[in-house]
Amino acid sequence: MSTTEPSTYTPSIPSNPITRTTPTIHIELTPHPLNPSHATHFVRSPSAGATVLFIGTTRDNFNDLPVASLAYTSYTPLAMATLYSIAEHMLQKHSLVKIAIVHKLGECPVGEESIVIAVSAAHRREAWRAGEEALEETKRRVEIWKLERFVGGEGVWRANRDGVMGRRVEEEGEGEGEGGKEG
Amino acid sequence: MAPAKVPPGHFPILYFAAAASFTGKSTEHLAAPLPLGRLFATLDEKYPGIRQKVLDSCAVTVNLAYVDMEGEEAADQKLVIQEGDEVAIIPPVSSG
Repeated sequence: MSTTEPSTYTPSIPSNPITRTTPTIHIELTPHPLNPSHATHFVRSPSAGATVLFIGTTRDNFNDLPVASLAYTSYTPLAMATLYSIAEHMLQKHSLVKIAIVHKLGECPVGEESIVIAVSAAHRREAWRAGEEALEETKRRVEIWKLERFVGGEGVWRANRDGVMGRRVEEEGEGEGEGGKEG
Repeated sequence: MAPAKVPPGHFPILYFAAAASFTGKSTEHLAAPLPLGRLFATLDEKYPGIRQKVLDSCAVTVNLAYVDMEGEEAADQKLVIQEGDEVAIIPPVSSG
């Protein structure tokens, strides 16, 4: 599902980062530019032989339509709880040493980081798999919404599960959407 | 995000993304108690067309927990939204 949005719409976002950190999990929603090296540093450990870092950046087009800017909004307390449960699940399922998931809120200029995921594990196989699954689960579940504004036009609320502008979603889980960016 | 003060006999409802666009607001207060099964109909009376255009593809949370809006036999259909409960309309998400 996506609906059109006047270009003046401004979603409300927290003015400071919201974080939840344990010795092995770091979750953050932030209005500030993301710093991938912070996430990498958090997951570093003498017991980990592999660290995988994923950086999602905002793309300048959607189906060849030029994207002028993007903004993310969230239901912050619920998004934090969902992110934390994904991190806990990944930690256990893939025997990770540590995991960090950081997502941008508010305006995200084209070409800049919107999501950073870092995982560490004893060996590379677990790290690769957990990194990918953490991203897919985040995109599928976390209560964050992306507003894409097109050059010279209106904004569109993207939905990861449809991936086609303006199409109504009839069934859950149908199709795998990618709008406006790679992450 | 939730309004600081909820008037007696009401509950806050939060709208995100397409739901916020359609209603033109991010939050408001509705009269409580309200059976969950009446929520979408109540909103559609207030915002004609929202059900078909937005709500049918949305999930709903009550106090940060998802409730089941599908199927007549769903246990959550018997749930009644009480005064002060925080209800949210959750459109399909798009993080990443």
